[in-house]
Amino acid sequence: MAVERAPGGTSLIDVLDRVLDKGIVIDAWVRVSLVGIDLITVEARVVVASIDTYLKYSEAVGQVAPISRPGAVSELPSSPDLTAENESLRAQLAARKRRKRRTTEE
Amino acid sequence: MAKSVKKPAKPARASKSAGTTARKADSGRRGSATATAISRSKLERVRVPSAGRRDDATEGKYVYCVIRSEQPLSFGPLGLGAEPSEVYTVHYRDIAAVVSNTPIVVQDPTRENVLRHQQVNETVMQKHTVIPMSFGTVFKTNDDIMELLRSAYDAFSDVLKKMQEKFEFGLKVLWDRDHIVREIEEEDEDIRRLKGEISTQKGSTYFARMQYGRLIDAALQARSERYVAEIFDALRSVSVASRSNKPIGDRMIMNAAFLVSRDMEQAFDARVKEIGQQYDKLTFKYTGPWPPYNFVNIRLKLERAH
Repeated sequence: MAVERAPGGTSLIDVLDRVLDKGIVIDAWVRVSLVGIDLITVEARVVVASIDTYLKYSEAVGQVAPISRPGAVSELPSSPDLTAENESLRAQLAARKRRKRRTTEE
Repeated sequence: MAKSVKKPAKPARASKSAGTTARKADSGRRGSATATAISRSKLERVRVPSAGRRDDATEGKYVYCVIRSEQPLSFGPLGLGAEPSEVYTVHYRDIAAVVSNTPIVVQDPTRENVLRHQQVNETVMQKHTVIPMSFGTVFKTNDDIMELLRSAYDAFSDVLKKMQEKFEFGLKVLWDRDHIVREIEEEDEDIRRLKGEISTQKGSTYFARMQYGRLIDAALQARSERYVAEIFDALRSVSVASRSNKPIGDRMIMNAAFLVSRDMEQAFDARVKEIGQQYDKLTFKYTGPWPPYNFVNIRLKLERAH
């Protein structure tokens, strides 16, 4: 079969596969919460939680273990901690949002 | 209030001035929490009487990627949004974020938006090594972006060096399962015999069918692993790194990404095409060049300052 290369932007699935959670990712609550954005300057600093680059040639893995091995496991910080942290941050954000709305709507 | 926020040249609008003042006050808010509380109330007093809503709506910055550049750059009106806005750079030392102005809203990953995000990355990538940003990251001001670049400077700088002059290519391999099953039946004597038994046997064929299914599954598995291993091997010498993602759907046997240096791009391309000739029963979906999405994962989080 003749194989042709398609530019990156031609398949939406291929694009979505990449852009949603790969590359530089800022933890979701910042992105979905508008109030969260100004937290960066006001009360929070940006912290690099993890950096992974994958510069090894992954061995062929079949359908049994389809996710690549190097570093894949260490990629995610422990989720119970994150969940708890998210919960508390969301609560803070909601509080801030309410406060802000009150002041802007005066 | 010492700092002013650089703005890209834009036709001035009468209603803008109030909003701009607010923004300046905004950037003055950096610093201790008490100072924040004070200037914050000031800020809101400024903002309320202005037609501030609409002004706010033009002031966010959508970030596409991070590159190394000391020169301000402009990439044309490719930005995300209703009317394509100018894509330009925000700098900190020798690195820069590629951004465009956007309303401060959560951008939905619609077809249009997602493709625009990718298109900007593709354009920037032609001349620069990029670390792609995941979709939907909006900051309020240039200062916020500089703060991001400053805080993660070492990480960005290091990763930019590692990714220098490298692209990602995607390769998905699919097969026609039924066709392969027929092939296996022809080649494997045990399976052929079982199939014969099932079709001629009187009475229950339950166990024969179970066994047939198991053998076929195992044979399919072995064959797909063999193909995938051979394809990875064939591409090893023309790429820097590879990653194997989970295949999607039951026709796909391989869903991989390869990191390829710019000077090996043609060799990689030629090799993929050779493989395509060699495995004429498989279907190849070959895409790229992409920014190295599959080879970089920088997770940032926000931490409360003291």
